[in-house]
Amino acid sequence: MDSVKFDDALPVFSGEWPGENNFVFHAPITSPVNRKLEPLGPHFLAHARRKRHSRTFSEDDR
Amino acid sequence: MSDSSAEQEAGAVIGIAFGNTTSSIAYTSADGKAELIANEEGDRQIPTVLSYLDSDEFHGGEAKAQLVRNASNTVAYFRDYLGKKYSEIDPTNSHHSAHPIDADGVVSFKVVEKSGEEPSNISIGEITTRHLKRLRDSAADFLGKEVTGAVVTVPTDFTEAQREALVAAAKGANLQILQTIHEPIAEALAYAAKENMQPEDRTILVVDIGGTRSDASVVSARSGMYTILATAHDYETGGVQLDQVLVDHFAQEFIKKHKSDPRENPRALAKLKLESETVKRTLSIAVTASIGVDSLADGFDFHSSINRLRYEIRAQKVFDDIMKLAEQAVQKAELDLVEIDEVILAGGSSHTPKIAQRFRALFPETTPIHAPFTDAAALNPSELAARGAALQAALISEFDVEDIDQSTHPAVTVAPHLSKSIGVVVVGADGSEEFRALLPAQTAVPARRVAAFAAPAEGGDVVVKIVEGVSEIRKTIIEKKEEAVNGEGEVEDESEEEEEEEEEEIKTKHMKVDKLLAEALLKGVEKGQKIEVTIQAAADTSLNIAARIVGTQQGVRGVIAAP
Ligand SMILES: Nc1ncnc2c1ncn2[C@@H]1O[C@H](COP(=O)(O)OP(=O)(O)OP(=O)(O)O)[C@@H](O)[C@H]1O
Ligand SMILES: [Mg+2]
Repeated sequence: MDSVKFDDALPVFSGEWPGENNFVFHAPITSPVNRKLEPLGPHFLAHARRKRHSRTFSEDDR
Repeated sequence: MSDSSAEQEAGAVIGIAFGNTTSSIAYTSADGKAELIANEEGDRQIPTVLSYLDSDEFHGGEAKAQLVRNASNTVAYFRDYLGKKYSEIDPTNSHHSAHPIDADGVVSFKVVEKSGEEPSNISIGEITTRHLKRLRDSAADFLGKEVTGAVVTVPTDFTEAQREALVAAAKGANLQILQTIHEPIAEALAYAAKENMQPEDRTILVVDIGGTRSDASVVSARSGMYTILATAHDYETGGVQLDQVLVDHFAQEFIKKHKSDPRENPRALAKLKLESETVKRTLSIAVTASIGVDSLADGFDFHSSINRLRYEIRAQKVFDDIMKLAEQAVQKAELDLVEIDEVILAGGSSHTPKIAQRFRALFPETTPIHAPFTDAAALNPSELAARGAALQAALISEFDVEDIDQSTHPAVTVAPHLSKSIGVVVVGADGSEEFRALLPAQTAVPARRVAAFAAPAEGGDVVVKIVEGVSEIRKTIIEKKEEAVNGEGEVEDESEEEEEEEEEEIKTKHMKVDKLLAEALLKGVEKGQKIEVTIQAAADTSLNIAARIVGTQQGVRGVIAAP
């Protein structure tokens, strides 16, 4: 449902890997802005259900 | 709500679009389709008008017809007065019907309800109650069921006081308002239903062009959730102004022939207005329309006709104002026109071909303009708000009031929205690095997106670069092809500029990498394999990243800390 498919290829890595781990964190995202979601439609209602019952997406999937 | 569950099962919930000019009612059928409901007269577009004559109350089309002979006992254009003090309203639109009066600060209408009796003051709240009661009764008649609740659309600038006044007025009509929702979002939802509520990401411009006002909203739809980025309102542009263009045109013709101005006689003016509106609607589907009014003024009959082009030239200022409003909303959202993915034209005046054409010309060819004239599959713009309300009514029909209140509470609705798009770097066709968005800017968190990518052609070690991307507007100058339309007059207003300009600037939107957030390494990927990347943005705005080679145990996980 929330998946997309791209035909593009990911880049090949060459050179020196910058960390010990295979995952390297560089920087956080730009600070998000608080805005108001319009409370209607099936997808918002699913969001509201997760938020009110403190459920995650995967818990919600089950 | 405890004892009403049995009642609710027997009853129905409906959607109501309550406009200053027209109202409509809709329900969602068992197969999930929203349908408009026709009232006893067969109207799906029900004039928001009540009229009192000989102790009877008339509603809708029958009441509107009385604007000619019984104007002072006919109440029209009142929705925007609701929940306001007398000192706060602009009564301009009521100059030719029962005029609102100040009854201790409360907006009221003085009408003769019972023939032979003194006129009575009906408050705006009471008028609204009576109107909603008629709508509720029409729906109940049509559905053959009690109506237990309604979702009602309101403009985006409706205040909390107005909302409360609406809920109270409905209560007086024994109608429970389950929820009030914003018109442009209801309109977008009506279109989303057409595509089975697919959770697509789009930035939508909704322009609602009604009778007495026009409203433009820039709405971001992300994973099927809607956020209003900006709105703009014009209370002096709409169908009334388009009617006036025709009234003035016909009045001038009448003056030429009979040396008398029909606009100076209230009854003649009212007739001319009604007939001009009919002509205007005809010109939405035909290229010429005729008008015939017996004994319009001074005993003279009036017969004439007008073609669409002439009407469009006369109405140009109104069209210009609508375009200005739309551009203003896009500017307020700090977006470029090319960043709008689709345009929804809503409201009755969106039937007007020239308005749809003007939007078509303003946006790139690839941007869908949903209006009857530019999109054969467009929904009826007059029905969008009611349809959206009916869909929402069906979605929450099983909820109790407390559930609805909790879901619409800021604790649930206010959420962090991403400032920039988050995605992955891929190799473009020409070998350069390109950005692919997984979570576009304005996505509310928590959010989750999964994307599948190809392995490099030769395989090898693969790097998944998680980055932020921003849009970039590129301008390209193209040679303007000679267009042999100058003689036709169709583009009369623009032809001057076009003659001077030999080349045209085309803007396009591109996404480019802005900031590297994290990198993940996947070793020894074989050619032909797929790589799946999952980004989960948590409520605290940290990101969980997972990258794996599809069909293997090999994968990498990591966290991008919150800012
Ligand atoms: N086919 C048509 N062609 C042109 N105009 C039309 C057509 N159908 C309806 N209209 C116009 O649309 C206007 C009514 O718009 P709508 O039904 O959206 O009303 P509304 O939301 O109550 O308006 P508002 O609140 O702005 O007064 C009227 O001016 C009417 O003449
Ligand atoms: Mg409207």
